[in-house]
Parts: sequence; C-alpha cells; structure tokens
Amino acid sequence: MARLLRPFEYRGPQTVGEAVRMLSEYDAQARVLAGGTDLIVSMKKRQISPRYIVYIKDIPDLNYVHYSQETGLTIGALATHRSIADSSIIKDRYNLLATACNKVGTPQVRNMGTIGGNICKAGPSQDTPPVLLVLDARLKLVSLGGERVVPIDTFFLAPFKTVLQQGELLTEIQIPNPPPVSAGCYKWATKTVAVDETLVGVAVLMSVDSADGVCTDIKIALGSVAPTPMRARQAEEVLRGKRIDDRLIGQAAQVAAGETRPRSRADFRRRMSRHLVSEAIAETWKMIR
Amino acid sequence: MKEIATFMVNEKHYELAIEPHMLLVEVLRDELGLTGTKHSCGIGSCGACTVLIDGRPVLSCLTLALTVRGKDITTIEGLAQGTTLHPIQKAFVEHGAIQCGYCTPGMILSAKALLDKNLNPTDKEVKHALSGNLCRCTGYVKIIDAVLAAAEAMSKEAHP
Ligand SMILES: Cc1cc2nc3c(=O)[nH]c(=O)nc-3n(C[C@H](O)[C@H](O)[C@H](O)COP(=O)(O)OP(=O)(O)OC[C@H]3O[C@@H](n4cnc5c(N)ncnc54)[C@H](O)[C@@H]3O)c2cc1C
Ligand code: FES
Ligand code: FES
Repeated sequence: MARLLRPFEYRGPQTVGEAVRMLSEYDAQARVLAGGTDLIVSMKKRQISPRYIVYIKDIPDLNYVHYSQETGLTIGALATHRSIADSSIIKDRYNLLATACNKVGTPQVRNMGTIGGNICKAGPSQDTPPVLLVLDARLKLVSLGGERVVPIDTFFLAPFKTVLQQGELLTEIQIPNPPPVSAGCYKWATKTVAVDETLVGVAVLMSVDSADGVCTDIKIALGSVAPTPMRARQAEEVLRGKRIDDRLIGQAAQVAAGETRPRSRADFRRRMSRHLVSEAIAETWKMIR
Repeated sequence: MKEIATFMVNEKHYELAIEPHMLLVEVLRDELGLTGTKHSCGIGSCGACTVLIDGRPVLSCLTLALTVRGKDITTIEGLAQGTTLHPIQKAFVEHGAIQCGYCTPGMILSAKALLDKNLNPTDKEVKHALSGNLCRCTGYVKIIDAVLAAAEAMSKEAHP
C-alpha cells in the first residue's frame, strides 16, 4: 500500500452553501473530506483517487450537540466521536450512543473521526448506525436543490452505498426524545486485528409500562451481520407486549440470529449475534426494571 | 499547485509552500526536519505518527497538512526545554519504557494529552489513553509505570 497520496485539488468551503455548490459543480470527480480517518486510508489504498477534495471541517456551525425537550437531540455532522462520547446530555439520556462512539477506533481516531463520516461511509461494520437505528434517527441531507430529511432505516442500500446523491451533504442527525420509561445499550464483539473492528454490534432500546412491567416497545438493531445495518423485527415481535423473562430473551435472541445475513464467518457471526442480543436485552431489562 | 501556508509547530511559525496532497507527517519530517514524529503503518493503526493539535492527539499520517494551518501543533520536539527533559520523557528513560524507541514519541504525546487534563489518572485511564499507540518491544508495563510516575512527579511540581 502507498503511504502517500496522489495529487488532487483542494477546496475548503466556509459554508454549507459553498460546499454543495462545489460538490454539484465537480460532481463525480469530488469527494467530501471530514475527519479523513476513512477517506485518506481509501485514497492511500488507491481505491479512490478524487480529482477534488472538498474539506468541510472548516465550516462553522456543523459541529454541535444540541438538546431541547421539544425537538430532542440534534447533532451536527462534524461532531467527533470524542465530543459525542463526552457530551453530558448524551451520556445521560442517550447512553448507548456515547457507548458506541467511545468504542470507535482509538483515542486519536475518536478525536478526528466524525459521526457524519461514520454514517456516510456505510460499511457494514460501522458502530453508530445500529444505535441510530434503534433511536429512530433522521438525517438531514442538503444539496444545491434544497434539503430533505430521511429516516436512517431507509438510508443504507448496500455495503458502502446509501441514498446520498452525488452533490449531497449530510449536515445533521436528528434524534427524538427516548420514550418515557426506557433504556438501551450497545454491545459488540470484535475481530482480532490491530484495531478492533466490530465483528457483530447490537443495539437495543426498550420501553416498559411502569405499572405492570410489560415491554411496550423494543427495537433491536445489528451491525456487521448483513450487507447493511439491520433491524431484527421478528425478534422484536417476540418481546413486544410481553412480560420479559429469561426464556423469552433466549427465544428472541435465537430469532434475531436467524434474521442476520452474514457474508463471511456466517456461523460465528450468528452465534455471536445470538449471544450479544441476549446480553443486550438482559442488560437493558435490568436497567429499566 | 503549491499553496503558501503558515503552520505553528511547537510555538514557532513556519511559512511553507506545500502541495495540497501532502500529509502532516510529510511536512513535519521532510519539510521541517522534525523527524521525531514517526511514519509507520500509514493507515491509522499504530499511533507512531501521533501529534497534538490544540492539545488533542491525532494521527499525522491521516491529516492533510493544509487542514491544520494556524492550529497549535505539538510534536515530540516541543516537549524538552533545551536539554531539560519533560517529566514524561524523564520517567520513560528512568523506567526503561523505551526499547527501540519507535513508538515513544507517540506514546509520550498521548500521555501528555492525558496528564495535561488529569494529573491523577488510574491505571485504567492510562491504558485507555494509550490504547491508540502500539509498541512491539516493551510489553507496555514499563510504559504505564512511567506515565503513572510522571503523573506523580508533575502533580508534586504543580502542588509542592
Ligand atoms: C484505525 C482506525 C480504526 C477505526 N475503527 C472504527 C471503529 O471501531 N468503528 C467504526 O465505526 N469505524 C472505525 N473506523 C472508521 C472511521 O474512523 C469512522 O467511520 C469515522 O467515523 C469516519 O469519519 P471521518 O470524519 O473520519 O470520515 P471521512 O474519512 O472524512 O469520510 C468518510 C466518508 O464519508 C463521506 N462523508 C464524510 N462526511 C460527510 C458528510 N457530512 N456528508 C456527506 N458525505 C460525508 C466522505 O466523502 C467519505 O466517503 C476506524 C478507522 C481507523 C483509521
Ligand atoms: S503511521 Fe499513523 S497510525 Fe501508523
Ligand atoms: S519501544 Fe519499540 S515499539 Fe515501543
């Protein structure tokens, strides 16, 4: 692998408007650069050699974590994993997101890498998408033509492929308030490599009726076990409306494992899915009970 | 096409003409001769190329130099005052935390970022802070001992 980059032209827009104008003008010849922890590696591997690099990190106002009771949580696409993991409102109300961001890479990678880059990279093993799926996140995409907001469960199409159009920029992640009596967690197993790439990631968000202890709603999402991050909807059905016990957790975990579609190391990934789903539900149930 | 850019490295200003595709590690080593920063894996895995940008550890092998114009860049050369070593450097020497030395600049800068915020870290916090820096020689124990010893020395200095 080459350790140096091929030449390209550099653009450093100062506003979102300027950035999308450049992206639309350069079209397929341009790539957005945020933290670079993914793109620069792909460029060194000569997987892509863009003619134009549009560096967006100098755009002010895209790096924030806001919370309000009315609108919930909004995160700028340039917020780093470090800033999300350190945010007290996220640690407090969306702890599973803090956990996932704290899992990404190494301290250096968390200082550089952005949540926007994590979502847009769209590899099967990215850590924030399963969590964003159970949190019902919506993504604001801006282009020269205007903006649209898409639910994250319609964003991913295939490995490294999303609905993001050429010339479109992800600017904000919108996350509603979690349901009143709810809890969630993120669990993972890693490959044994220099940096612990996720082999299976599992996010769970559950709400219960505080009066009778029945699970009123549950969302389960998995990463790295299918071409895109996925919900385990059949497993959710096993638990929804029921009083949770160990037998039911075991059953849901088995159903979830059956819903996965791993491309490689399929047997191991399914077993780990079953184990982690079971652990994640049990832990969430313990937090909320 | 080359661009003129101003960099602030170890509190010194440098004006350089650089190509947009140049990485920070290339500028530091090849243009400024600051070869303390090491270039190893080139893909973000090892941490040998770690420098501090505005006090935070980042990887100079994955950073375009143009993106850190005007930012406060600290490399290992910025730690010693003349011939007086920084307490972390001193502790690394005293605890035998250096063998081949290739990982050392990155290790020390990651440790500095931690100790600048927390002079009383636990064993676990030290390991977490150094988790992006790989060492193939020491087995890490002496490195962790050195960082803990440096923390103690530095907090004594701060609160004599
Ligand atoms: C050593 C190492 C370890 C890693 N470990 C993990 C890990 O454990 N878990 C994990 O999930 N990832 C991991 N990664 C991958 C990567 O660090 C993360 O996915 C990170 O969040 C990427 O963000 P970035 O800002 O660096 O993206 P960049 O590299 O800047 O961009 C990534 C892609 O997204 C596009 N893009 C970025 N921002 C936007 C935007 N706002 N709008 C439109 N397109 C955009 C870029 O064009 C590019 O295609 C690791 C990487 C390294 C080098
Ligand atoms: S050389 Fe930069 S992380 Fe290995
Ligand atoms: S001392 Fe040789 S790599 Fe750490």
